Parts: sequence; structure tokens; C-alpha cells
Amino acid sequence: MMQGPTGPLRDIATTVPVLGIGAVSKRFGATTVLDNCSLDIAEGEIVTLLGPSGCGKTTLLRCIAGFWDADGGSISIDGQDMAPVPVNRRPVGVVFQSYALFPHMTVAQNVGYALRMAGRPKAEAAKTVASALETVSLSGFEDRYPAQLSGGQQQRVAIARVLVMEPRVLLLDEPFNALDAKLRATMQVELRQLIKTLGLTSIFVTHDQEEALTMSDRIAVMRAGRIEQVAGPDEIFDRPATAYVADFIGTSNFWDAEAAGGSVALPDGQCAKTELVGRVRVMARPHNLRLGPPGNGVWTGTVAFHRNIGPLIEYHVETASGDTIQVAAMRQDRARPIADRAAVSIVVIDPAGCSIFPAP
Amino acid sequence: MTDAVFTPRIDAPSFGERLADALLSGRGIWPAVPAIIVLMVVAVIPFVILLSLGFSDIEIARGDIVSQTFSLEHLTKALTDPLYWITFQRSLSLAMSTTVLCVLFGYPVAYLFLTGGKWTKRLILILTIAPLLTSGIVRTYAWLVILGGRGVVNQTLMGLGLIDQPLRIMNTHWAVLIGMVQIHLPVMILPLIAVMSRHDRQIVEAAENLGASRLGTLRTVILPLSVPGIGTGAALVFTLSYTTFVVPQLLGGGNYLNAATMIYEQVVFSLEWSKGSVSSLLLMVSCLVVLVAIALITNRFTRWTKGREA
Amino acid sequence: MRGLRRQSLADTIAIGLILAIAVFSLVLLVAPSIIVVMISFDTRAFVSFPPEGFTLRWYWEVFQQGELVEAMLNSLQVGVTVTVLCILLGVPTALACVRGKFRGTTALSVFVLLPHMVPGIVLGVAVLFAGALIGVSPSIWLQSISITVFILAVMVRTVQSRLMRLDAALDEAAANLRATPFQSLRTVTFPLLMPAILAGAVFTFVEGFDNLSVAIFTHGFRDRPLPVELLSLVQFTSSPLVAAVSGVQIVLAIVALVLVSMSIGLDNVNE
Repeated sequence: MMQGPTGPLRDIATTVPVLGIGAVSKRFGATTVLDNCSLDIAEGEIVTLLGPSGCGKTTLLRCIAGFWDADGGSISIDGQDMAPVPVNRRPVGVVFQSYALFPHMTVAQNVGYALRMAGRPKAEAAKTVASALETVSLSGFEDRYPAQLSGGQQQRVAIARVLVMEPRVLLLDEPFNALDAKLRATMQVELRQLIKTLGLTSIFVTHDQEEALTMSDRIAVMRAGRIEQVAGPDEIFDRPATAYVADFIGTSNFWDAEAAGGSVALPDGQCAKTELVGRVRVMARPHNLRLGPPGNGVWTGTVAFHRNIGPLIEYHVETASGDTIQVAAMRQDRARPIADRAAVSIVVIDPAGCSIFPAP
Repeated sequence: MTDAVFTPRIDAPSFGERLADALLSGRGIWPAVPAIIVLMVVAVIPFVILLSLGFSDIEIARGDIVSQTFSLEHLTKALTDPLYWITFQRSLSLAMSTTVLCVLFGYPVAYLFLTGGKWTKRLILILTIAPLLTSGIVRTYAWLVILGGRGVVNQTLMGLGLIDQPLRIMNTHWAVLIGMVQIHLPVMILPLIAVMSRHDRQIVEAAENLGASRLGTLRTVILPLSVPGIGTGAALVFTLSYTTFVVPQLLGGGNYLNAATMIYEQVVFSLEWSKGSVSSLLLMVSCLVVLVAIALITNRFTRWTKGREA
Repeated sequence: MRGLRRQSLADTIAIGLILAIAVFSLVLLVAPSIIVVMISFDTRAFVSFPPEGFTLRWYWEVFQQGELVEAMLNSLQVGVTVTVLCILLGVPTALACVRGKFRGTTALSVFVLLPHMVPGIVLGVAVLFAGALIGVSPSIWLQSISITVFILAVMVRTVQSRLMRLDAALDEAAANLRATPFQSLRTVTFPLLMPAILAGAVFTFVEGFDNLSVAIFTHGFRDRPLPVELLSLVQFTSSPLVAAVSGVQIVLAIVALVLVSMSIGLDNVNE
């Protein structure tokens, strides 16, 4: 089994982040793709860049790897500026979305490629390759060709291939995109465990929020070239910093309201505290709402339809004001779900759990 | 291992390395420079010289140009020479007929390819590509054999008792035409196949599902979509048949003068350089005119290929 | 479910007619060659059909005729020279066209294509004149270089299209895995380009061997290539000898075809 990075580098004071991204910006012609992004990543952390297509997450990854140059700001590893360092010298390992395995080389040749390029003696290289393959549980696959491997196996070869370099930072570009749903879930857990065992600092890029919530120590939600919020999965989910983050992660219900005197009135009659004044947008998660009989409250509506998501039933309720509110309820065995077109009332379970944002 | 597998040299590359990078990586234009130089020297400059020769009066002494003065004399002489007109017109009509016949005979082959199975497709590809790998002379010779006085056609016809005396097919316009069509068929078929294969097979199935007969599908769906292929094939066939040298020479007899044979005669035998230049240039220009015409016609029929308006 | 498909008699006849023409055209494509090959085995000393007997004597004769053999060797040399030059010049050019980050990549592609668009004879004439002006007379080398320039676009295009279909990430992966640009070219790009280079080589060799339009103006007086030799032979010989030469060429063409289909596959030939 391979060990994580050991040696002098490990003892550097933990105040120097492994990867320092400082005010990085990048433009393509007139379009600003990255706008003043800053992020520090500590040793052994798994950080995910999360956002929709075009938000700049892949661009940032490519800048860290060295495929593209940033127009402004700096990228440093262990405190050393990477600007003058070309791609093939940076201590990063990239796992591509398509895995980019060399089709004309065997698994062993793929995994040993970096060693060959660096001129490592053959015997030593062979041992390292064997060790890497063992780490990803692919011992015995040395002589197969990529075309003969399944998606999951290809991914593991791609990982082993960069592991032999003992990179300071592991960069993964939507690595689970090519796998089907069931395999995805298993591989995500496995990969996180592997990374943690090896103590590798890693950055994932994805548009899949579930993947981000599963894999990461911290999530950086990006939008239009900016980092909107960086926080752990729980905090991102429970205390989103902006309406955008709230909308992107998990399901959310939004409605407009007026805030005055330190609080804002909720549709069901309760109040939530806020420091904002004037027009605001209120967000409540479906699991923070509860359905009751129509007579019970002032916030009423009719059930449009419901669907099952794992252990929950998600109801879509059309309210009098025209909003569609999603409410989640635990499934109870043998209890029938509320029928379509039934009249219901909605109650906020915990007003403090609502998020309040300035109106856009 | 304390000495990490990599002692990554996290430093800037040396000058030598950056130079190699710039030259070899293909990011810059450097890898193409040798080709550019060769093309300039062997193609562009000679062509410019050709142009200049056509537009000048030259005096040659001992195989070298002694003087060269600008003159439109050769050009005007050529344009007013009835022989030139006849020759070019003959080349033109030959090329046009060849092109049209190639379209008529080649399109069904492409249709067969489209609707055929795997082995049909393979067979067609083999029969179409193989001729292109043999020389024009070999292919023309075959027709010599077939159309000659004692050739296949005559022998068969006489053998069957249909005629008493051999037909004189060789050394006629017809012999040349037949040879031209057969020789240039592959050049027509291949672009057609390329274009037609690019479209989703399901378009044809959709048409059938919507009630079109096979002929209707061909007429309303397949044909319009294959127009770019017809355009490309026609352009290629026209260019080749307009400038072809071998076929008219061999199948048309020594007196069959067309543009290419005329140029050959002027350049290699009479050593009339300026005339040869003018003829070559006229050949090129007239060829280009027709190609532009083909492109315009094709364009009119392919308005659907234009993308969304920005 | 076939929907409202109408299958009328007229439809069947029309389609039948079209398919019949197709078959006829295909036969037309191949029949002459078959006839020639048959004639090449004729025992009689004149050309006639159907042939009588079976003999390999004419093939034997082909390799006995000094001029013919010399012409074949010349053409062989031209073919090889053209191929080598096209690879050396064309592959880097294709690289620059596809991977280039400079402004003129399309212009470069078009520029390389230009000599191919000019009629072969015009190019031949131009090279002949230019050569004469600077004292370079027609020779096997002039012939080779002029055909190279003529056919270079085919090599470039073949390599280009394969290059464009390679996953760009492969190159990036190699770079990330410590490869210098040269190493990446050598270990990743070139091995993957080999099939296209091979196919391009076949086409350029064939053109070098068979080309007449450019060669007729630029070939050396003493180094006549096969097509030129054949041209006079055809006009003055009436024995199946020429048929035998054709037979040899046809065999070569089939070999070339097999090579191409093994490297990039028949369907990818379409430029």
C-alpha cells in the first residue's frame, strides 16, 4: 500500500496552505471567466468547486494545473508561486473527466508513464506501479488495455496513474460523470476513503451537488466566475450565504416578504429574526415545513402532486398566492400519502431555520 | 520513501527547453515552416513566374531568357485565335458531358451504398477506391483494348453475328467520352458517399414512417441532402476531366486536340513558353469560373445548411 | 408499424431502375480491369478477346524489358521520395494546423491545399519554366519535389482529420504526467497518428508512382517514370505486354487497398 506523502514537506508549519489561490482572474476576450477568486486549501483537505456549467470551476482547475495561465492573481503550492512553472513540473495530478487513458498503452504502461518520463530506473518503477495498482485494487490488471476495462476500472487506473507522482494536490474534473448512477455512489465513498487514507489534498470539480455533499470537507459554490461561499457541507446546506447558494444546494422554497423592526413575518403567522430591512427573499427547506389539515392555519393551499424520494415524500403544494411550495414528510409505512387536490395548511417547523436574503 | 518519487523541479524551464517547446509543440507555426518554404519555392514562385511569362514578350537565347518586356500580345493573340476557342470549347463540352454523365451514373451507386448492407457497402468502397490507386494510363489502356477494331466490343458483336464489319469506335469523340466517364466515376462517387453517410439514417426511416414511398423519400429527402456531395463530386470530376491529358490522347487519336494536349504540345514540343503560359492560365481561369458556378448553384440548393443567424 | 406507406408499382420500377443503373456502373468500374487481366494471360502475341490459353510469359517479359524495368524502378524511387518528403513536411504541418495557437491556422490549411487545386499540368508547366530559368532541368528529383508539392495536401488532410479526433486531454494528461512537449509527441501523439500516416503514405506513394500530369513536364529525360514509358508503349505495342504491366499495377493497387483498410479502415478514406 502506498503511504501518503512523508518527509520534510510534511513538517512545514500548517499556516502555509498547500494550495493558495489568491485573487485569480481570467478573461477570454471580453468575457470574464474568473473574477477575483481566492481560496486556501489546507493539507489533506478535500474541497469541491461546485456550480453550473460556465461558472468557471473547470477554468480554475485548469489554471491550477497549469493548462491555462491566469490573467491576474497568483496560484501557489506550499508557498511557491506556480506562475513560472510549466505544466509538466507542477506537483499536481489531474484526473480528467474522460480519464484520458492512453489507448495504445497497457494499464502498467499508463500507470508507469510519469515514472518513465522522469527517467526512473525500470525495476524501481515497476515496483511503484505494482504498489499503486494495489492501492486502487487493480492488481493483476497490468497487461490489460483501457478499451478492455469498465468505467470504474478506468477511473481507478487514472487515479493510480497520478498517484505514482505523489502529487501535492490531486485535481479531479467531474470524475464520476461517465459512470452510471449506482456505480457513482459506491465510487464516491470509496474514493473519499482512499484519499483520506493517503492524506492527499484534493480538489474536485462538479455540478452535482450530491457528489459535493458526499465527498467534501469544504464546498466552494461558484457562480459566474466568483466564489459565492466556501464552507463545510452542513453549513452550506443549513446556512447558505446567498440566495443563489440556497437555490443551488438542496431543494428550497422562496417567497418575497417585507422585513421591519428586526423581524419578518412568515406566511403561517410566525416571525423570523433578521437584521435586514425592507424587501427580502425568504427561503425555507422542505423538511422545515409541515403539512396539516386546512383549518389549522392561515397558510393554505392544495396538493398538486407528490413524489417519493428515498425515505421522504415530497409534496408540491399550490398556495393561494400562486407559489408552489415543496414540503417533505417522512414516509410512514402503511399510512397513505395525502391525495392530490386535497386542501392543506403549511406550518414552518423552526422559524430560525429559515434563511433570509436581500431582495435581488 | 523520504525522497519522493519525484523531486519535482518546481522551477522555470531553461531557455533550451523553452526553445524546444516552442518549436516542437505545434503551438506555433514552426513545425509547418519547412513545408511553407518548400511550397513557396516549388509552387508559388513558379506560378508567379508562369503568370509573368504569359504577360510578357521574351527573347530566349541559348536556353535562357535574355529580355522580358510586359506585353499583352500573347494573351490577345490567344483570345482572338479561333483554334484556341475551338480547343477550349471542345475541352469544356467534353468535361461538362463527362460531369453530367458521372452524376447520372454515380448517384445510383451512392444510393445503393446508402440503402445497402455491410457487405454491399464494403464492395462498393473496394470497387470505387481501387481504381484510384491505379494509374490513369492503365485504366485508359483497358478501353483501348475494349473499343479497338479488334477489341472486345467488336469481337463480341461480330461473334454474335450482329455486325459484319467492325464498328469504328476508337478515335472518336464517343470513345473519349466513355473512357472519361468510367475513369472519373470513382471521383464522383466517393464525395457523394461521404456526404450521404453523414446524415442520420433515421431521417430516411422517419420519411418512410410518414408515408413516403422509396422514390418519394429519394426525391424529397435524400436528394436535397446530398446536393453538397453532388457539388463536390462535380467540381472534382470537372477539374480532372477538363485538364486531363491521357484519355483524349490515347482514345481520341493523335488529332484530338484539347486544352491539355495543346499545352503539352506548346510547352514540350514547340517550346513556345509564352504561349504555353497563356494557355495554362486560360485553362486555370476558365476552370475556376466553372467551379465558382458549380459552387453558386450548389449554394442555392443548400440554404438549409446555414446556421442560426447570430 | 409502417404507417401509411404506399408501395406502388411505379415506385418499385423506379427504384429498380436506379439500382440497376448502380449495378451497371459498378460492373463498368471493374469490368475493364478484369478484361485486361484476362488478356494478360493470352498466349497469342496480339491483343484480342476472348483470350486463348494461359501463360505467364508476358509477365516474364515485363521484367525482361530493360526500359520497362528501369521505368518501374524510377517510379518506385519517385514514389518513395514523395512519400518520405510528404511525411517529413506534412505531419508537422498537420500538427501546426490542428494544435496551433496562432492566428493563421485556417490560412495555413488552405495554403497547403492550393497546389492540389491547380490542375496538375499547370503546376508541371510552372515548375518546368521556373526550373529552366534558374538552370534546374527536369530530373527525377524535380519530378519528385513537384509531385510532393502537388499531393502534400492529401497527407496533411489525412493526418489532420485523425489528429482532430484524438482526445485533446491525452496531450494534457501526458504533460501533467511529467512529459515534455517532445516526449508527449513521441510517446502519445505519434503512435496514435501512425495509422493515418500510414494511410497517407499509401496515397502519396501511389500518386508519386502513377502521376502523369505533373511528371510529364518535370521528369528527367533519361529517367522516364512508368506512366510516361507506358504512354509510348501503349501507342506502339500491340502485344499483351502492356496488359501484363497493367496486371502488375492492379496487384499493387490491391495491396495498397489492403494496407489502407487495415490502417484507417475503408470508411475513413473519404477526405
